[in-house]
Amino acid sequence: MIWEVFRQESAGGYHTHCGNVHAPDREMALLFAEVQHGRRKPTNSLWVVPKDEIGEVDTEDAAFGGTTDKSYRFARTYNVEPAAEEVEESEKELTEAERERARREA
Amino acid sequence: MNIETVKERAGPREFSPKDDLPEEYRRAATRMLQFHANSEIMGAYLERPFIRQAPSLERKMAFSAKVQDEIGHGQLLYRAAESLGIKTREEMLRELENGAGKFLNCFHYPMEHWVETPMIAFFVDGAAMRRQATLKQSSWEPYAHAMDKVCFEEGFHVKHGEDILRELMSGSRKEQRLTQEAFETWWPRILQFFGPTDDQSSHHDFAADTGLKLMTNDELRNAFLNTYMPKAEKYGLEIPDEPRIRERDDGTYEVVEDDLDWEEFFTVAKNEFEPGRGQIDAHKQAQDAVQWVRDALDAGEAIGTGGGSPQAAD
Repeated sequence: MIWEVFRQESAGGYHTHCGNVHAPDREMALLFAEVQHGRRKPTNSLWVVPKDEIGEVDTEDAAFGGTTDKSYRFARTYNVEPAAEEVEESEKELTEAERERARREA
Repeated sequence: MNIETVKERAGPREFSPKDDLPEEYRRAATRMLQFHANSEIMGAYLERPFIRQAPSLERKMAFSAKVQDEIGHGQLLYRAAESLGIKTREEMLRELENGAGKFLNCFHYPMEHWVETPMIAFFVDGAAMRRQATLKQSSWEPYAHAMDKVCFEEGFHVKHGEDILRELMSGSRKEQRLTQEAFETWWPRILQFFGPTDDQSSHHDFAADTGLKLMTNDELRNAFLNTYMPKAEKYGLEIPDEPRIRERDDGTYEVVEDDLDWEEFFTVAKNEFEPGRGQIDAHKQAQDAVQWVRDALDAGEAIGTGGGSPQAAD
């Protein structure tokens, strides 16, 4: 049975997928995950999830973000100076996401 | 873990569902999160009619995207609240419907005209975002994680709201006059958004000591006024003479609290304000109207899981 492994680098962070292991049960999966994925890279916590329990949809099946011009939902579209630091920060994140999406579509 | 340990350890993203936390912490965090989640939902309902009433296709699409975002924020926050183990999402949604669930003062007031939209979409969202940016450092990790995504999206909301304000204030004289009137109506409510002064806030100390709340009501309101008052003036809005706002020597602002209607505020806070009751009931009616969708989903889920057999292969 295959278990997908998610590693959290430090407390408070996100668990991100880092690989998978073969194991007969959850206890063994955790042990193998620890050995394979928690030995060198900084690790605060690991999750293991049975592969069969994971659902997936990818770019073959879905047009993420739609197929029409959706610039109206990005901060950059609105030509006003960000009112505050946190608005500016959000605009940066949104612009980065928008740029990355455009790059992939190109 | 006891309360003393919680207070000692309290720091950004310190506690997660795997920690054994005292009930007092879990209740306080649930109270904050439920209030926040309810507010997202009620704010979305307040803005929803403006998808239809928006004056252009761009504005309709933006309002539609925004309302969708806000409902999503509500769902994220109910999840973060649920993980504290005090209340389920169903319980919290039911409380919102039957009038027991509390939410932000501003969303108790009906919004009828397009000129009012920037009062919510720029000022209230701007105020909310100021507060939310601090909550990225909440000690309850699921709350902080929800704030990462909320703040990511919220920049669009605030800038869109500001864009509407700019458009209205550079429009006809009538548009400018009506926008000014809407501003005067909403301004005191916006000042009350952050709640009563610190010494009157009943929950502050515990929430601050346990890292659930990062800044005081006064600090948040000051940060808001420092950035949003100049913006209002820039677009030609006149700040009303009352409530009086005094600038202190250090450049921060003091709002003369006696100029604000706190009786109304606390009536609102208790869900006893008549127009607010209308908002709550309208939300309940909308929920009831689509009950059949939830019933169908529940029935489908019961079939899908084979009537409750274990899902994991182990």
